[in-house]
Amino acid sequence: MGRLRMLIDSLSHPRVTEKYPYEPIPIPEDFRGKPEIDPEKCIGCAACARVCPPNAITFRDDHEQGYRVLQVFLGRCIFCGRCQDSCPVGAIKLTKEFELVSLSKDDLYQVVKLELAKCVRCGKYTVPYRYIKYLMEKGPKILKYELLLCPECKSEVTTLIKYHYAQEVHE
Amino acid sequence: MQDIKRVIEENNGKIVVEHDYFLLVEVSREHVRKLARALFEAGAYYSTGVGSDERPKNGFFAMYHILNHEESKKYIVLKVETPEHDLRIPSITPEIEGANWAEREAHDVLGIVFEGHPEPERLILPDDWPEGVYPLRKDFKYNEKVKPVRKEEKFVEREDALVLPLGPFHPTLHEPEYFEIYVDGETIVGARYKGFFVHRGLEKLAEGRLTIHQIPFVAERICGICGYTHMICYCQAVENAIGLEVPERAEYIRTLLLEIERIHSHILWFGVVYHLLGFDTGFMHAWRIREKVMDSAEILTGNRKTYGMSLVGGVRRDIDEDKKEKTLKALREVSQEMKNLFDDVLAMKEILNRIEDVGILPKDRARSIGVVGPVARGSGINTDVRKDHPYAAYKYLDFKVPVYNGCDVLSRYLVRADEIFESIYLIEQVLDQMPGGDIMVERFEVPEFSVGVGATEAPRGEDVHFVITHRGSKVYRWRPRAPTYNNLPSVPVMLEGEHLADAPAIIGSIDPCFSCTDHVTIVDDSTGKILFRGSLEDAIRRLKR
Repeated sequence: MGRLRMLIDSLSHPRVTEKYPYEPIPIPEDFRGKPEIDPEKCIGCAACARVCPPNAITFRDDHEQGYRVLQVFLGRCIFCGRCQDSCPVGAIKLTKEFELVSLSKDDLYQVVKLELAKCVRCGKYTVPYRYIKYLMEKGPKILKYELLLCPECKSEVTTLIKYHYAQEVHE
Repeated sequence: MQDIKRVIEENNGKIVVEHDYFLLVEVSREHVRKLARALFEAGAYYSTGVGSDERPKNGFFAMYHILNHEESKKYIVLKVETPEHDLRIPSITPEIEGANWAEREAHDVLGIVFEGHPEPERLILPDDWPEGVYPLRKDFKYNEKVKPVRKEEKFVEREDALVLPLGPFHPTLHEPEYFEIYVDGETIVGARYKGFFVHRGLEKLAEGRLTIHQIPFVAERICGICGYTHMICYCQAVENAIGLEVPERAEYIRTLLLEIERIHSHILWFGVVYHLLGFDTGFMHAWRIREKVMDSAEILTGNRKTYGMSLVGGVRRDIDEDKKEKTLKALREVSQEMKNLFDDVLAMKEILNRIEDVGILPKDRARSIGVVGPVARGSGINTDVRKDHPYAAYKYLDFKVPVYNGCDVLSRYLVRADEIFESIYLIEQVLDQMPGGDIMVERFEVPEFSVGVGATEAPRGEDVHFVITHRGSKVYRWRPRAPTYNNLPSVPVMLEGEHLADAPAIIGSIDPCFSCTDHVTIVDDSTGKILFRGSLEDAIRRLKR
C-alpha cells in the first residue's frame, strides 16, 4: 500500500529541480547579497569596519600622503548586513547580486580613497574632510572648532580654555 | 526548588548568584565530588563543563560544571577554583559519566589536572599540538601560531576482533569524525570514538577579537543546519548575564524562526536516514518537501540558512502580514505531505525491520551519559529545554513533548516525526498571537565579570552557551556546547552487539551532523593487510554478498 501511494506521489510531481543557470532564479525581497559601497556618499567614518564581524571591511590611514583607504573584501564577507545597519549616510548597501565567482581575486575588492583633513593647529592629518563636514551638519552639538583639531591638539586646547575660563570665574 | 537549595547547602556549596534561569554555586575542591554526586541523585544531569583562566581577575583558574535540574527549572553552575601553582581539581567523572569530555577538554585548553579521571587522554587538541601549550590561557595570543610536533599514531589492536576504522575524512558533505569499530564476524563487539578534527578555535577568537554584537554571527556559523539556535542561545546567555529583558515581539519572532529551523532540520534527518537505509526514494521525497520550508525561511529572513536575524537585545528585522500568509500556506502543505510520507514509509515492513529494536540505549545509561534531545526522549526521558527552562515565547505557547520508551532507532524516528507536527502547531500559534511593539533594545550597560547561562532546544537537543562578560562590550569567556557533544559518547553503547550493517543507521540516529558514507578501511587484525578501501555503503554491500 505504502509503496503504491509513493509511486503515485512520484508520478504526480513534476521535476522540481530549478533550470538555473539557464533560467534566472527568483530572489526574495529581503535577500542579502553582495555589499556595494558608494564612493560618492561614503564619509569615511569607518563605522562599518568597526562592526564587521569577519573583518571584511578594513580601513587604513596614510598619514604621509593624507588619505584614508576603506576596503571591502568580498572573500571574507558573510553577508550579515551589519555595515548597512551602521552606516550613517546609507553609503553601503547589500544588493541582490549573488553570482560572485571570479577568476581574479582583484574583482572581490572595493576600495574607497578619501582625502584627510589637516589639523588647523599643528598641521597633522586627522579624519576625512567629508566626515568633518557631516559632523558639522548632522553631528551632536559640540564646539565646532574641536572637529578641526587632531586629538592631541584638542585636549591641549580644551585644557587651555578650561584653565582660562576657570581663571575668569575666579576673578 | 527549596529541596535543591537544601542539597547544595548541606554539601558545603555556597549560592553566590540566584537568577531565574540558573544558580551559581561556589564549592571548594574537597567538596565538589560529593556535591556533584548529591545533585545527580537529586535528579540533575550533567550538561557541560567550562574551564576558565581568571588570573587577571584574582589569580585563580576556575572550572564551572553546569548541571541541568529540570524539576526546579534551573541550571546549577558549580564553580571550583584552584590557584595557579596547584592546578589540581578532583574529577567528578567517577560520579557522573557525562563529565568525561568536559574535564578532558578543560585539561587540553587550560592545563587543569583532574585527579582520578578514568581516561585522562587528549580530547580536542590535535595529536601534533605540543605538550604544555594551553591555548585558552589568557597569556596565549589569539593569533599566535605554534610549531606542530610529530607523533606516532596509535592504533589500538584487539586480539578477539577485527578492527574497522570508520572515518575520519570524506571530501564532500560530511564532517570528519572517526569511529573505530571492533567486529567479530558480523557483530559489533565494541567501538571507540575520536573526533574534534575540525576544532575551529571560535572561543579564542571571540575572547580575543570580537565584540558582543559580532559574536552572534560567528555563533550562527557553528552549525550549517541548526545555526540560528546557537545564535539565540548566545544572545540569551548574554541577556541573562546583564539582566536584559527582550521585547515580547522579538521573543515571538525568535520562536518562529527556531521552529522553522527545527522542521527543516528534522526533515533533512529523515532524508539522511532513508538514504542510509538504502531507501533513496524516501530521501528524494523528504528533501523535496523540505524545500518548501527552506523557501519560507527565505521569505521570512532573506536567506535559506544563516538567517542573521538576532542580536543581543532582540531581533534585527520585522515580519509583516504578507510573509505570515505565505509561511502558513507553505507549512500547511508540508504538514500534509509529511503525514503521507510517514504513513507510506512505516507501512513498509523492510524499513521497520531495519530500525526496530536496533541501537538500544537503556534509560539509565542515557541519564548517566547525559544525552539530550530526541535521543533522550527516544529512551523514555522526558526532557525538553523548551518546557524545562522556558525561553523566548515558549512560556506563552501550548505544545506537547513526544516521549517514546523503545530506546531504539525507531523511537528516535517517531520522536522526530511527532516534533515536526508540534513545530507546525507552534508556528501557527506564534503567527496568530504575535503582539506588536518594539523588536530591539538598543541601549544597555555590560557589567564586568557577570556570568550568564543560555540554553535552547536545538533540533538535536539541548544547546548550552556559557558567557562571562567583560568591560568594553567584550566577552571574557564564551563556551558554546552543541547537543552532539553530549550525544556522541552514547554511540559506542548503542553499537555494541549490533550487526555491522546497522552501524550507519545507528550512528545516524543521533543526528550527528554527519552521515556514514565516510571512507572505510577494513584491516585484517592479524596481518595488518588492508582488505578493502571505499565507502561504508559499498563495504556493507560486499559483506552482504
